[in-house]
Amino acid sequence: MKRFIRLLALMSAVVVALAACQKAAGPQIQVEDAWGRPSPKVATAGAFYMTLRNTGNEDDALIGASSDACGTVELHESFKTAEGAMGMRPVEGGKIVIPAGQTVELKMGGLHIMCIDKKVDFTPGTKVKLVLHFEKSGDMPIEVEIRQPK
Amino acid sequence: MAYKKPVLVLVGALLLVAVGWWGWNRFRPYAFHGTVLQSTEPAPDFTLMSADGPVSLRDFRGKVVMLYFGYTFCPDVCPTTLFEVQRAMELLGDDADQVQFIMVSVDPARDTPERLKEYVQYFDPRFIGVTGSEDEIAEVATQYGIYYQKHEGTVATGYLVDHTASITVVDKKGYVKLIFPYGTPAEDMAADLKYLISH
Repeated sequence: MKRFIRLLALMSAVVVALAACQKAAGPQIQVEDAWGRPSPKVATAGAFYMTLRNTGNEDDALIGASSDACGTVELHESFKTAEGAMGMRPVEGGKIVIPAGQTVELKMGGLHIMCIDKKVDFTPGTKVKLVLHFEKSGDMPIEVEIRQPK
Repeated sequence: MAYKKPVLVLVGALLLVAVGWWGWNRFRPYAFHGTVLQSTEPAPDFTLMSADGPVSLRDFRGKVVMLYFGYTFCPDVCPTTLFEVQRAMELLGDDADQVQFIMVSVDPARDTPERLKEYVQYFDPRFIGVTGSEDEIAEVATQYGIYYQKHEGTVATGYLVDHTASITVVDKKGYVKLIFPYGTPAEDMAADLKYLISH
């Protein structure tokens, strides 16, 4: 019995240590609800949207993405100009920072991943493979479904 | 027979409430969701080119016209707006035939009439896309208070165009009546359009 309790204590310690390690491992990025907007063939550019969650204890940043479905992938944001018009520009500093413990939403009329020179039809139901490049977490392959906005 | 009195009073009161409610809904002024403009002059006419020939505003007298200035390269703001208009048209059902959506290109150098047609009809086959020379577009945009400005993009995007992203609504008599700012939900547009169709 004594031996069993000792074993149990040891195991608990290992679990706690592992959990601590994991927490100390820096940024932890989760990608949720990634989707792309359907667009006509003639529209050369498409857009992807998603929620980026950082459950780690260190900031990270999305610095780019690549896909065989796009000639070029860029990080852009739509914004209201001083004149009250809507504009679009590449994101400041070329990256989207996801602070530790926070969530950043890429959504219509705001931050988005732009797919320039689409190589596939962005029709509803299509699945597009996309690799997200993070400053610290490295590459993360994801699948994006083309669907109507909710 | 004494019990009948309170019943009658109750029925009378209910009737009064019902008639009042009906009257309030029937005669109160309609509150538009969009921004109301009371223009004293008819909306400036224009003639621009679509893939199916010239299109003038006056062609649609008797219909409610939605004017939108945008460009086909725009991957976020324009499709977001066109999708909402598409939904508004769906919500209107048969009444949608009384509405004409026209997208005017603010990127005449890259948007050909054919390109515009394919772009807008992806959202609704009834939509029309028009373009013209740089000067013609500039004139129409100025008349409608639309701001647009090219600015440098990246190597991949080429130039981008900032533009006013609201929709101008011209009523059946040809007067500018409403502005739908960017982000107006389809339900709000449909309600306003329905009112303009029936008045």
